[in-house]
Amino acid sequence: MSAPSPSGYHVASDKPFLVGLGVLGGSYLLIIAAMVLADLVFLDYGDKPVLGNELVSHGKYAGEYEKGVPIAVEPGRAYHFRAGKNEIGLRSAGRLITHNGLFNADASEVVLLPREPGAPITASLQPEARVAGITITNKVVNGVTHRLARITTDVPHRLLWKEFIRLSGTGQSGWSGVHEITDTDKNVITIAAPTDTVPAPLQLSKPNPLVQALRSRDIRFSIKLSLISCTLTTLLSLWVAVPIGYMMSRFKFRGKPVIDTLLDIPIVLPPLVVGLSLLILFRYMPEWLSDAVVYKWPAVVLAQFMVACAFAVRTMRVTFDQIPQRFEQVALTLGCNRRQAFWRVIMPQARGGLLAAGTLAWARALGEFGPILVFAGATRQKTEVLPTSAFLELQAGRTEGMLAVSLIMIGAAVVVFIIARTLGMKRIFA
Amino acid sequence: MIALENIELRQGSFELSDLSLELASGEYGVLMGRSGCGKTTLLEAVCGLRNIAGGRIILGGRDVTQLPPAERGVGYVPQDRALFPTMLVREQLAFALVLRALGQAEIAGRVDELAELLGITGLLDRTPDKLSGGEAQRVALGRALAHAPAVLCLDEPLAALDEELHGEMCRLLERVHRETGVTILHITHSPSEARRLAGCHFRLADGKVTRDENRSCA
Repeated sequence: MSAPSPSGYHVASDKPFLVGLGVLGGSYLLIIAAMVLADLVFLDYGDKPVLGNELVSHGKYAGEYEKGVPIAVEPGRAYHFRAGKNEIGLRSAGRLITHNGLFNADASEVVLLPREPGAPITASLQPEARVAGITITNKVVNGVTHRLARITTDVPHRLLWKEFIRLSGTGQSGWSGVHEITDTDKNVITIAAPTDTVPAPLQLSKPNPLVQALRSRDIRFSIKLSLISCTLTTLLSLWVAVPIGYMMSRFKFRGKPVIDTLLDIPIVLPPLVVGLSLLILFRYMPEWLSDAVVYKWPAVVLAQFMVACAFAVRTMRVTFDQIPQRFEQVALTLGCNRRQAFWRVIMPQARGGLLAAGTLAWARALGEFGPILVFAGATRQKTEVLPTSAFLELQAGRTEGMLAVSLIMIGAAVVVFIIARTLGMKRIFA
Repeated sequence: MIALENIELRQGSFELSDLSLELASGEYGVLMGRSGCGKTTLLEAVCGLRNIAGGRIILGGRDVTQLPPAERGVGYVPQDRALFPTMLVREQLAFALVLRALGQAEIAGRVDELAELLGITGLLDRTPDKLSGGEAQRVALGRALAHAPAVLCLDEPLAALDEELHGEMCRLLERVHRETGVTILHITHSPSEARRLAGCHFRLADGKVTRDENRSCA
């Protein structure tokens, strides 16, 4: 048997490997990008009309409704129509309406047209609520006079207390713009009146969820608390992570493997359990301390800190591991003690790692939810952070509100990363 | 002067015992030995970077066995040079002087003097990543000499340089030795490199330091 000649030897092309890497990596990146993009696109940024009660009742396109369901409407009034998956559209006095949105009724009846007989009714038709009248009253509460505007709508408006409403078409400063609803009734909305005189024409609309979220006092509070608590957590984490990381990187001592394991516990433990463990731990604390922390804002910081710090420690340890010990040794012979060698020679080199650890801790803290829910509760304007807001919005059935809060979180995270990147870049280009 | 008396070193399973070496003040000592025989470990012990299990280390007439590295009055140039990456060459040369809280004018004068001695005046405002191997070696030498140590420890100072630079660096080391009068302990694994260098020659082999009696130290 002859050995293969050297010229007969071929190595397989690198292409499949590189393409594979590209496809796998690319698909992951694509999912990340698509995820963020979906959030951004899903939200309807335009204002929405204020709508009354649903006019379409449940049922099927069967029997007498086989050819269509007639619905009584008021001619000339604007209605909001949304076709479901079983409808072709709506017939309004010979006109066929297929697009979703507002239209003016032409006669006293519209007919929902089914795609096929026998299917369930899936469309929606709601009248637009319009301003029927405004009265201004003065209400005295605790000696302070509040000027209130009671806006009556021609149909029930279905708005809630603490929601926001946009008034437009007045041309009068003060009235045009977004107002917080301070009280509601079936046909009445109360807002703080900007002036004594009521402007003549007024239109109502619901501002987009992002505006609603940013205007809401609860969410404003949670933004503030999130920013403050995350920053506090980051500073605390770095304060602890730098010495621990340095110690674990440079020194050998008894029980080091045990400490190593302990440091990883917050990373592997389910976040909810971290919160529960903290809660139980504080049962054994003196009363004044547990009163000051549990279900108050310090609990938020502590819960964030427990998880975020573990990541900061990891990062700092790797950072110090990558800086050879030689630098300290040389610094020691040049006249440094250990503290001076650390601050003058090692820390300047660890700046990039410090920044990375800080960013990571900040981002972890921003997203922390489970431990905070258990350990600090979810009290509005007290221990509400952004993830809590998102959760509360979802619970209240306001998906759009939750999405708006998510976007605020994405925005905050992006800003912090950009700041960290720019600072990091400065170091490289200096 | 450097005097090592019955030094004992332990590092894991590696062990050296009863090592002695004597180098008079202002002499140029070359310590040869194969890779892995403990040269660097011995040098680190002299600098105080490694604890010794027994024996005494005397530098410049002082027993420094119990002193921290900062107080031993040594200049150390490790094999990888370990220039501080975040500092300019000027700052590296001034490092030991700033620690000793000298005046700005004094520091600037000393830095210029060192730069001239080593021929690196034009490099003072560079960062280490912009230096060639030979330049980095000069800066590392300057940094170690700044505080006028009695003893200069060089760990394979020529190893990372190409042949062409060897001669130049040897001449530079001789010049530094002549002009500063510092006692130098230079370690190398290469006999050919050792042959080029003047001074006292020692050999570390089989756990013993022996002096090459064939050469005069002058």
